[in-house]
Amino acid sequence: MSPRHLGRGAGVLAVLALAALACFQDPTSPAQCPAYCPGGRLTTVESLLATAIERDSSFQGYVEAHRAGALVASAPPGVDSRPIFETLPISIRAFIDSATSDTATGPIVVDSMKLTVIVLRRFAALRNLTLSFYRLPLGIDSTSTFAGLAPAFAAAPLRTVNVDSLLAAPDHRDSVTGDTILPLSAVDSVRQSLTVRVKFDQSVFSQADSGRLAIGVRISADSLASIALGSLESGERAQVTWFYRVDSAGTIVQPDTLRNPKTILQSPRFDGFVSDLAPVALDANLTVGGVPSTRALMRVALPRVLRDSSQIIRATLLLVPTGAAAVTTPDSVFLQARRIATDLGAKSPYALDVPDTFFVNSTPFVGQPGDTVRMEITKLFRLWQADTTAPTALYLTLLAIDRADTVTLRGFEGETFNAVRFFSSRTPAFRPSILLTFVPRLKFGAP
Amino acid sequence: MTFRRAYPLALALVVGAAVSLRAQDSPLGIQGLGMPGRFESARARATGGAFAAFDPFSVLTDASVSGLGRLTATATGAASYLTDDLGGLSGSRRSSRFPLFQIGGPAWSHIVLAAAFSTYLDRSYHVVINDTITLGGSSQAISDDLSADGGVTDMRFVAARRFGHLALGAGLHLLAGSSRFQFTRSFSDTSTYGQASQAGEVAFRGSGLSASAILAVGNHLQVAALYRSDSHLRGEENGTVVARNDLPTTVGGALLWQPAPEASLAVSLLRRSWATAADSNAYNTTSWSAGAEFGRAIPLRVGVRGGDLPFGPGGQTPREFAFAFGTGRTFAGARGIIDVTLERLRRTGAGLTETGWTALLSVAVRP
Repeated sequence: MSPRHLGRGAGVLAVLALAALACFQDPTSPAQCPAYCPGGRLTTVESLLATAIERDSSFQGYVEAHRAGALVASAPPGVDSRPIFETLPISIRAFIDSATSDTATGPIVVDSMKLTVIVLRRFAALRNLTLSFYRLPLGIDSTSTFAGLAPAFAAAPLRTVNVDSLLAAPDHRDSVTGDTILPLSAVDSVRQSLTVRVKFDQSVFSQADSGRLAIGVRISADSLASIALGSLESGERAQVTWFYRVDSAGTIVQPDTLRNPKTILQSPRFDGFVSDLAPVALDANLTVGGVPSTRALMRVALPRVLRDSSQIIRATLLLVPTGAAAVTTPDSVFLQARRIATDLGAKSPYALDVPDTFFVNSTPFVGQPGDTVRMEITKLFRLWQADTTAPTALYLTLLAIDRADTVTLRGFEGETFNAVRFFSSRTPAFRPSILLTFVPRLKFGAP
Repeated sequence: MTFRRAYPLALALVVGAAVSLRAQDSPLGIQGLGMPGRFESARARATGGAFAAFDPFSVLTDASVSGLGRLTATATGAASYLTDDLGGLSGSRRSSRFPLFQIGGPAWSHIVLAAAFSTYLDRSYHVVINDTITLGGSSQAISDDLSADGGVTDMRFVAARRFGHLALGAGLHLLAGSSRFQFTRSFSDTSTYGQASQAGEVAFRGSGLSASAILAVGNHLQVAALYRSDSHLRGEENGTVVARNDLPTTVGGALLWQPAPEASLAVSLLRRSWATAADSNAYNTTSWSAGAEFGRAIPLRVGVRGGDLPFGPGGQTPREFAFAFGTGRTFAGARGIIDVTLERLRRTGAGLTETGWTALLSVAVRP
């Protein structure tokens, strides 16, 4: 090989060798602080923002009884609450015979009716649950009151069903009365829910009222008499099924199934519940829960140091109960803090345009919290830090637990009479505060 | 090698140097400004650095570039394998870098011009600290992952001329660079505490002037003297000055004795006033070196060096000692030169003993 070729080859080899040298780096050295550690390290600061919650107030009327996702039914010694609903009218005439293109119709003759209700939120310890169904005067609406309907509830019930007896019966069916409990699904097991179908005789049908029917429900149990029934709002409404025949010139015949359904299924026009409990009185404290539901609007003064550069590690909202319970029920509830889209005071809307994940839940409790409530609102703080246009305010609500699975804590507003009071910023010693853990911005570059 | 062929090679070396002037040199530099770079080619390093003052491929003195008789591009690569013993905690590190690149050659009127990139300060490190802090009234285990990657590069522009037995040179030094910081704190309780991570990039700026002279005394002896003054190192993050540190003045001298054509001996002494760079744990340094080169075609080079290091904790000046040897080869009628060096290093500081090997490779191309 000539020196020229040798030199050229050596040059290429040298370049390759240099490239190979540049291919690795593992500069990790053992740490012995402070001597051989960087002068600036991340520091974690824990600070109690005692006055961060400001201009906090409670407002009432967000979810009323007739807008709730469930109809609360409870009995003394707690709150006496009674679901009510009124069904839509049905067609009271049906085609008699379509085979001959006969357009003649005849009045329907109801044989019986079955009412299907979904029992939600049934305590595991609830025993001897009895549902009593009362006929109410037509025309009930959101203005109907407990006192106004008391005479109707004082009459004898149309039907009374012992749910526990039905559950104990073979196939969950009472062969005498025709009542039944529909097969349970997996979700029913998680929710502790039941679908109860109760049979009524033809007396509940009124030709003059076009089949409209107003029903009220009372419950009783050995203890913990508090459940909820599905409502129009949740899509788990009560339903009535009319079984009928047709009067054809004095002869009762089966309706023509080609042009008439065998049964008539009808939903409520209105549902709600009435109770003997007056709405919770608001005071200087923060009240949440109850029916109609009450929320606490809490505005958060975000320190500038957080706005600018610090990294939030943890933010915990501390709420101190007043000790004087507003209303206590045996319902399992939890608190939820949810951001608002814009601060319009009592009429501040939630962020409803997209499924909002920026909310936090407290741990569940029964009745009243036993101690200071701690809610991890880190995600809200991080949101506010990242989105400086977002109002730094949140609604605090009390939700009744209604689980759809065993993992997610789910609940709804206005489905419990339980109400909790917390001290507000007007009580300096016990005002809401935020325990904040953050990492201040580090000044790089200094040795 | 023709100009046409040398140019891509030189370009490759420049690119390599630009992206790789990094890597941690020692934990001793974590709390200081960093670890100073060495301005020596592989050839000079093999003699412990004693030949650096006279070596035109090194960037220690300006006058030495007067020895570049033709256009020359030089690059040096180094790979280090180091082991730390920190009070019983041991760890090993490895890194690679291109600490030196220079291109220069005669310009006019016997003036030689050169431009060089070299590592002035290495500011890379990576430390993982496991600790326990108190949060919410209870102990929380944390892990801090702290890393910095970058350094300060010395861009040198030199002019030198030989006046008979005397070579004079002067240089302008522009210091520039940056260091990217990434600090992360992780909590063992990840369900309660989120991870904190902060990143930043600090840009550095500074400048300096240097002058040096090499005097040939007779036919066998050369004496070199150098002076360099660097101003300040400004660290800026997002346009804001976050640090301002004085930089040292350097004075030094070296002696080269060539008793025979195939034997050369050299010694050097260097003094740098690093104590002005920081309020504490910064020290003035004195470093020395002695080395020899034997043979011409495939020379054998050996050397030792030692001295102080500028930064270290505990009020105690860290020290280092190194032994090196190497050789070199010229190719294609001395148009290509490759030098290789292997150095054994030992550093000691407060509670720290650091040992390791460094392999260096220099390539010089003279089209």
